[in-house]
Amino acid sequence: MSEKKIHEDQKYIDGLLKNNSFIIQAIYDKFAPKVVNYIKQNSGDSDKAQDVIQDTLITIYNQASEKKLQLTCPFDAYFFLLCKRKWLNELKKSSNKEVTINEDVLSKGDEAQELAFETSVFGEKQALFTEMFQKLGTACKDLLTATFKIKSMEEVAKSLGVTYAYARKKKSLCIGKLTELVQKSPKFNQLNN
Amino acid sequence: MEDQNYILFESYLSKELSQDEVSAFESRLKNESDFNQAFNTYKELSFFLEHKFEDESASTAFQNNLKTISNTYFEKQEPSKKVMRFKLWHYAMAASIALLIGIVTFNNFSNPTFNDYNNYKTISLTVRGVEEALLKEAENAFNSKDFAKAEIVFKRLLVKNDSNNELRLYRGIALLELDKFDEADSLFGKLSKTPSVYKNKAIWYLALSKLKQKNYDACLDVLKTIPEDADEYKQAQKLIKKLD
Repeated sequence: MSEKKIHEDQKYIDGLLKNNSFIIQAIYDKFAPKVVNYIKQNSGDSDKAQDVIQDTLITIYNQASEKKLQLTCPFDAYFFLLCKRKWLNELKKSSNKEVTINEDVLSKGDEAQELAFETSVFGEKQALFTEMFQKLGTACKDLLTATFKIKSMEEVAKSLGVTYAYARKKKSLCIGKLTELVQKSPKFNQLNN
Repeated sequence: MEDQNYILFESYLSKELSQDEVSAFESRLKNESDFNQAFNTYKELSFFLEHKFEDESASTAFQNNLKTISNTYFEKQEPSKKVMRFKLWHYAMAASIALLIGIVTFNNFSNPTFNDYNNYKTISLTVRGVEEALLKEAENAFNSKDFAKAEIVFKRLLVKNDSNNELRLYRGIALLELDKFDEADSLFGKLSKTPSVYKNKAIWYLALSKLKQKNYDACLDVLKTIPEDADEYKQAQKLIKKLD
């Protein structure tokens, strides 16, 4: 990533990350109309477009804050590809039909494509991890929540009324359990290939 | 993957292994593909969880702000609705909808009861590899709503380890279900004063206990002490509205 030049549109990513209302507003004003049109023309409506845009911006935010996302292409192309991908996935889910992606937009530069692909895989993984986390038992969920919120394992142990060694062991076993749930899901293998 | 491996992953990630152990670990990563895969997933999940909980408040603030901006934007986009001409049957329809809404709201405003709230999620006290018969027994009794039995088993477990707040909370719920209010209330009261992750849950159940005893004023007082960042805050606010 480091040799690649960061695009000036990185300002949008930074703005999202800083929860800058002005920038978020600008993203809607500049880039939303195209997405709304596309979704309306492809069996959707403005409500659906609103959801897709919102989810996409949340995914970008998460990737920016967790993985230090660096934009190497115009935001426009990147954002549109992401929204489009998300919408086509929605359609696929609801109709069970194979949806063909028309290639004209996908050929707008490999950089945007690559980056959008990376982000959408990231988003899908996050959704999967969240889903699997919910499947854990209450004991594990509570322990992991406490562990990552409180950070000091000693305090976690104290607050749960268990010994330090036990809390630590339980933490690794709980993440282990989560690892197994994730690895067993067909979705994960799909995403990792 | 064996439990032992997960414990090893954790030690490796928190850099607690000796030089020799690290080399052994890294050579296993190279040579055993299952081990390697499991480790990578484990690492990814640790990272995911760390981020999820650490930056939770910033992320919630962002999502709320985003929602507001998005709603304003999309309202602006909606074309103004055409004025509809009402015909007689429209009025009939409107009247029946109004009636329906009336019935629904009336039901909503009728006094809430404890039974609206006692749908417990299945509890899981045992971690794989650390099986303990008594814990399993408590878990099963609680999950099958055999609260009398659950209470006895929790009590026995707490004799061994009386500072386990998770068990104390569940014992409190069992007592509450058995209408043993004094014992339940005192247990929740004590728990709510500990700095534990079960603190807010204990306050919530203390409120439910007051609700079950039909002591609505006390219930309100307790509900109002649930802090804004608690998971129970939303449902507490809803219950306050219904009771007020």
